[in-house]
Amino acid sequence: MTETLVPQAPVSTAEIAPHRPTDWRSHAMERRIRRRYTAERRFRLLGLGAVVVSAACLAFLLIVMIAQGYQGFVETRLTLPLDLRDLRLERSPERLKGPGADLALAGAGLERAVDAAANRAYEAEGGAALLSDGAWLRVRDAIKHDPRLLTHPFTLALPVASAIDVAAKGNGTPAAERSVAKLGAHLSCGAAWDFFTGADSTDAARAGIWGALKGSLLTMVVTLALAFPVGVLSAIYLEEYAPRNRATDFIEVSINNLAAVPSIVFGLLGLAVFLGTLHLPRSAPLVGGLTLALMTMPVIVIASRNAIRAVPPSIRDAALAVGASPIQVVSHHVLPLAAPGILTGTIIGMARALGETAPLLMIGMRAFIAAPPAGFTDSATALPVQIFLWSDQVSRGFVEKTSAAILVLLVFLVAMNGVAIFLRNRFETRW
Amino acid sequence: MSPLTLLFLISALGLVAWVIARTRARRFRRVTRQRFSSLPQHHGWYVALCTVVPALTFLLIWYFVSPALVTDAVLATSRAALLPPPGFDRAAILSEAREIAAGRAFGAFTPLGQALAPAYAAAQARFDTIGTVVALLLAFAGGAWSFLRVRPGFSARSRTEGLIMWLLLAASLVAIATTVGIVLSLVVESARFFRIVPVADFLFGTHWSPSVIDPRDPGAALGAVPLFWGTFFIGAVIAMAVAVPLGLMSAIYLTQYATPRARRWMKPLLEVLAGVPTVVYGYFAALTVAPVVREAGSALGIASASSESALAAGLVMGIMIIPFVSSMADDSLAAVPSAMRDGSLAMGATSAETIKRVLVPAALPGVIGGVLLAISRAVGETMIVVMAASGTATLTLNPFASTTTVTKQIVDLLTGEAEFASAKTLAAFALGLTLFAITLLLNVVALMVVRRYREAYD
Repeated sequence: MTETLVPQAPVSTAEIAPHRPTDWRSHAMERRIRRRYTAERRFRLLGLGAVVVSAACLAFLLIVMIAQGYQGFVETRLTLPLDLRDLRLERSPERLKGPGADLALAGAGLERAVDAAANRAYEAEGGAALLSDGAWLRVRDAIKHDPRLLTHPFTLALPVASAIDVAAKGNGTPAAERSVAKLGAHLSCGAAWDFFTGADSTDAARAGIWGALKGSLLTMVVTLALAFPVGVLSAIYLEEYAPRNRATDFIEVSINNLAAVPSIVFGLLGLAVFLGTLHLPRSAPLVGGLTLALMTMPVIVIASRNAIRAVPPSIRDAALAVGASPIQVVSHHVLPLAAPGILTGTIIGMARALGETAPLLMIGMRAFIAAPPAGFTDSATALPVQIFLWSDQVSRGFVEKTSAAILVLLVFLVAMNGVAIFLRNRFETRW
Repeated sequence: MSPLTLLFLISALGLVAWVIARTRARRFRRVTRQRFSSLPQHHGWYVALCTVVPALTFLLIWYFVSPALVTDAVLATSRAALLPPPGFDRAAILSEAREIAAGRAFGAFTPLGQALAPAYAAAQARFDTIGTVVALLLAFAGGAWSFLRVRPGFSARSRTEGLIMWLLLAASLVAIATTVGIVLSLVVESARFFRIVPVADFLFGTHWSPSVIDPRDPGAALGAVPLFWGTFFIGAVIAMAVAVPLGLMSAIYLTQYATPRARRWMKPLLEVLAGVPTVVYGYFAALTVAPVVREAGSALGIASASSESALAAGLVMGIMIIPFVSSMADDSLAAVPSAMRDGSLAMGATSAETIKRVLVPAALPGVIGGVLLAISRAVGETMIVVMAASGTATLTLNPFASTTTVTKQIVDLLTGEAEFASAKTLAAFALGLTLFAITLLLNVVALMVVRRYREAYD
């Protein structure tokens, strides 16, 4: 009986070649294994190389920007002996501290006096042309700070013209280099505070980023005020309440598509709808903010949905079981638990909006604007657009200004992303 | 009253309504012994929402409707009879008058614009007053009506939640409105463009020089094929030649070889590449990379080496795209079940052989989807090409020659000094529509590739 249960395999030994075990020690096999291991190492190095090359690109980019940009925070100054005793002022020096001092000093011909002093002191090197157009403002502020300067001769280090500034930093024109060599010890360096307080200017030595930065901040306020509530509310709706039907699918598809639409198309939308149809003011932070809000909203929706989805259903069930309404479940439990994720996504979306340039070009935020905007409907420019505008300038002084502005922008972005990472690490709960 | 003041006033009214209604609800909770469906604050919210929402809705509609009403009122005045028939002149005069009335301009080029300005200002003031009064009346009426309904038996909570649900729905409709807005604005302007220029001339013409448009045959100078080629060449060929090998190999190294510790540091480092603003890349490409590329081209003996070459823009764009490719490849490699990898390793394959013969083929649909998404990203990228690529359109295979792209031309066309409705500015919208369609198509195809060809493991 037992023999019949054993399967009878059709054995035909004649067809199988006599089995010879692989000789792993043979020369050919060893060579083959060595070749395979070499290929393995090569492949691994190739991978490491790719990571290193990518990181090196980033490092190179940053090094180039820092190397060019740090000089933008430094200005060259020329020591100028001044004697303003014969300046005819309408009011006594003691009253110069109050309002109206600017007008009084300008009316007394301070600018001419400073030019004359420069011509006297450095006639051979170029006189008043050595100084920046804004140099006399520095004298004005010094006098306002200490009116007694009007009563005795004094010396002051004043910012030099852009050409001289560039030459002093080592890459100017031959003529400017000669002037710098002659001035020698009269030149000194100092922090360029005007770069942080000034607005755009045609003179590189006077150009600052405050105007553009303020425009960017106003734009971001509008963007945040619109994109954050709308984004979070629609994420809540889609994730918690929306019925599963075609209409909801359509909303989801359009949000996902909007996240992939090129930013310049949003600029075209802003141009056609906000400027063309609604006649909102051109170049205004309001319109820029609206346009960027439409662009940022999908990012916030997607991040918020992920955060809301990560909250475990047991929490919703528990709240529902003790009698909370669906709205209370969300507002009392889901939303607070999802808040870190939502905020992280929002900050990352805002950082992207802050660095965005193309849509703002479309709605005209590229005009030359010499004063910081006072409100949401004033003409303004934004920091990335200012970088773009300066990069087009022919004057050499703008090269370092552009890189310096880029560094400021990068500092803002690093700070925002740092906050986002901190929030994520500190408050995010893993269920 | 300025819109901001009005907004503030209505919000303040809402707050007052909330406080009053809550106080009233508290009082009747104290005197009756009935069971309630709603807390006092629910009554507060109900009355506050009834105060604020109708007024704000009205203001929003009014904001869009009133400009047309103002214009109608101005046209009804006796001076408006002197206006030229509808057309460009008429619109220009009216907009001039509007600007003066709003205080944005101080002098008019046409005497009629100056003359109409007071009428405009008066009509504007009248309609502003009407809007303010109606909005405030609505707020008061809504508040009073809902306040009268605050009774012990009234289920304020479910009413409030119903209102909030509508608010949530409205918020998610903004996305649809945006999509519709994009499509409509692009299609409407493009339709105007295609009335001037035949579609075939635009899509298949090989000559692009918008600065010299012959008004009798504008299509001859607006053939977009060189732009499409330039976009494809820079975004899909050169940039991908940089981004795909680097991104894919980085992903492989980070997922398969790197220690978890190294991976924790290297992955964010690569992601930083995606966070750098494009204007910074553009500046880097124009100032640092482009001269090097031109020198290299000259050294290779290429006479046409330009400082606005396709290669410079494409290289830098490729660097920007690396993290997109790398993170998509990372995800799809991680999705391959570890049993497959372990099986291959157990058979004696080296890691490299496992990756090349097992993991990458299994992850291929995801990788290809990622590459398509990266191409769509590169095609829509604007600032790098605006700053580093050229403005002249050429059909060339030479990466050292100057090349232009669709996005670069959109920016150039719209930032020149042309009036709004000319063939030039409308061409930008037609290019925008093409760009929108191409990126949409790429995204849809990428999704389809991922869904259709993904192997269903487990």
